[in-house]
Amino acid sequence: MNFQENFNNHLKQYIFSNDNYLLKERQKIFNKINLNKFDKKNNESLKNISISDLSSFNYFYQPSKEKPTLEISEKNVYQINLVNGKCPDYKDENIEIRNILIKDIELFKSNNQKDTNDIVADLNLVFLNSGILIDVNQKSKIKICLNYKAEKDFTIFQHNFFNFFKNSEVIIEENFYLTENTINNIYYNINIEENSKIKHNIFQDFASSNKLLLTSNTTCAKKSSFSQNSYNFSKGFVRNFHNAKLNGVFSKASLKGCFLLKDDNVCSNKTHITHNAENCESDQKYKGILNNISKANYYSNTFVSKNAQKTEGYQLSKGILLSDKCSFFSKPELRIFADDVKCSHGSTIGPVDENSLYYLRSRGINKKQAMKMIISSFIKDDLIDLDKKNIDRINKNLTQYLSTI
Amino acid sequence: MIFLNINNLNVSIDGKKIIDNFNLNINQGEIHAIMGPNGSGKSTLANVLAGNEDYEIISGKIIFKDHNLLDLNIEERAKLGIFLAFQYPVEIPGVNITPFLHASLNSKLKNQKKEEIDSLSFAKLLRKKAEELSISSDMLKRSINTGFSGGEKKRYEILQMSVLNPEFTIFDETDSGLDVDALKIVTEGINKFKNKNNSYLIITHYQKLLDYIKPDFVHVMRNGKIVKSGNISLASEIEKSGYKNF
Repeated sequence: MNFQENFNNHLKQYIFSNDNYLLKERQKIFNKINLNKFDKKNNESLKNISISDLSSFNYFYQPSKEKPTLEISEKNVYQINLVNGKCPDYKDENIEIRNILIKDIELFKSNNQKDTNDIVADLNLVFLNSGILIDVNQKSKIKICLNYKAEKDFTIFQHNFFNFFKNSEVIIEENFYLTENTINNIYYNINIEENSKIKHNIFQDFASSNKLLLTSNTTCAKKSSFSQNSYNFSKGFVRNFHNAKLNGVFSKASLKGCFLLKDDNVCSNKTHITHNAENCESDQKYKGILNNISKANYYSNTFVSKNAQKTEGYQLSKGILLSDKCSFFSKPELRIFADDVKCSHGSTIGPVDENSLYYLRSRGINKKQAMKMIISSFIKDDLIDLDKKNIDRINKNLTQYLSTI
Repeated sequence: MIFLNINNLNVSIDGKKIIDNFNLNINQGEIHAIMGPNGSGKSTLANVLAGNEDYEIISGKIIFKDHNLLDLNIEERAKLGIFLAFQYPVEIPGVNITPFLHASLNSKLKNQKKEEIDSLSFAKLLRKKAEELSISSDMLKRSINTGFSGGEKKRYEILQMSVLNPEFTIFDETDSGLDVDALKIVTEGINKFKNKNNSYLIITHYQKLLDYIKPDFVHVMRNGKIVKSGNISLASEIEKSGYKNF
């Protein structure tokens, strides 16, 4: 089904379809895409994926028999089991969880009128059919596990709002249980208030018939910190586009990811950190291992505004190419308007280091085993701060991947 | 049994001949030193013996323990008992020293059809060997050579040698980048390990290293071949008047 048919035939199935304001916004974006009035040449959201891949699909969304649930397995550990983008309503002294309301989207749109040239984010609003809001109260120290389940053939366009109020400390773990032939376009707004510390771990591991397109926008207030790690072991297409704004002094943001690709799989990555205040730190790092005819791209951007003196901003991309036909496109970008900053970027992409291989082999380790040691170390280097369950899970994925080399 | 025999060896890299009709015999238990100016082919020889695949063997033979070494790849040579102590040991972040050395030792034991060593026994063995070389147990938790000083890297090479117990070790300019104290620690380690079954080939520019490890033979290498052989007095001669007389 083409874009126009999807838009016209399913209009009533989108949430807030009776809202005139939203209808106008949706119509505006629809016209932009339908009439090709967008930047096609330098559009980062269209790297390694075409506009027809994004806009031509069989829209399918309907109420599910299965209900979303919430479990509090241990003290202050919230397991939220979403079904097709819906969550249960819940409230206690730490947290409030609910499905989004029209006022959430209207507020978001009124504050974000600028065209970002991101087609995936545009499509999220056009076809929006779900979304959740999580408010974490001041001083709460909790762990939230968000388990996304998407039923067969569902196309989910979800907008989430996460608000972390002052002095909160939260670990968010996201898991995707995608069945078959699903599209999951998920957009997050993350707001981190003063002195809050947030860790965001995203585990992406699903079958090749599914697509997952994530976009996040995080704002960090004074002395807050945000550390995001995505682990992509999926056989299907994954997009990780994550942005953070350091708006308060002494705030920190770290956007990191790793991916293992093989066969004809593709993944598209972008991180963008804006320094709007003094004495802030940022770190952007994506690492990938590619085999066969797989493809990846990584755009990293650091923007340092004029008043953001004493900024420290680092970018790095690393890739291991295991075949001659795979490719990893990396483009780091720094735009600095302050004069007292420490910033760097680097990119190293190529086959397994021959000197390392020689060294290990000279100690009696065979070539295949030496390759596996080097590749494992490439990923394991970044597994600090994860609990045993997740380390085991990553090791399992890594072992499976290495068994095919 | 022929322990090590290098016969009429010719080696090139990128079309340039580096080793030229090279001949050398080393018997079990002997210590040989090769000295020579920069670019004489010493490190190439070390790498060719270890099996580095960057070099082209034009002709010649290398027999080690009755095996044609040129038929074996890098790891097969290591399992047979050849150990290269690198001039510049490679940093491999994320590959932890202990499991790496454990895997190395077990691959060697397996090749010798001996029983493999379990993790616990290996940890004990490694700690004991590390103590002998004054290597802290903290260092054993780190990644291979990562963040090590020059002296630590060389000590770690000796630790590996001591654990893997090779019959033939090539020290490729082990003294380079070491201060006097570090050199003493490293050479003490080598001397502790020395016995009548193990042979060494020491590649160096300077006599200093040979003051600590006494070689049975000293050879001078120039333009890819041995131009003179003798005893330790040859090293003293080089120390006094350099390589211009060779």
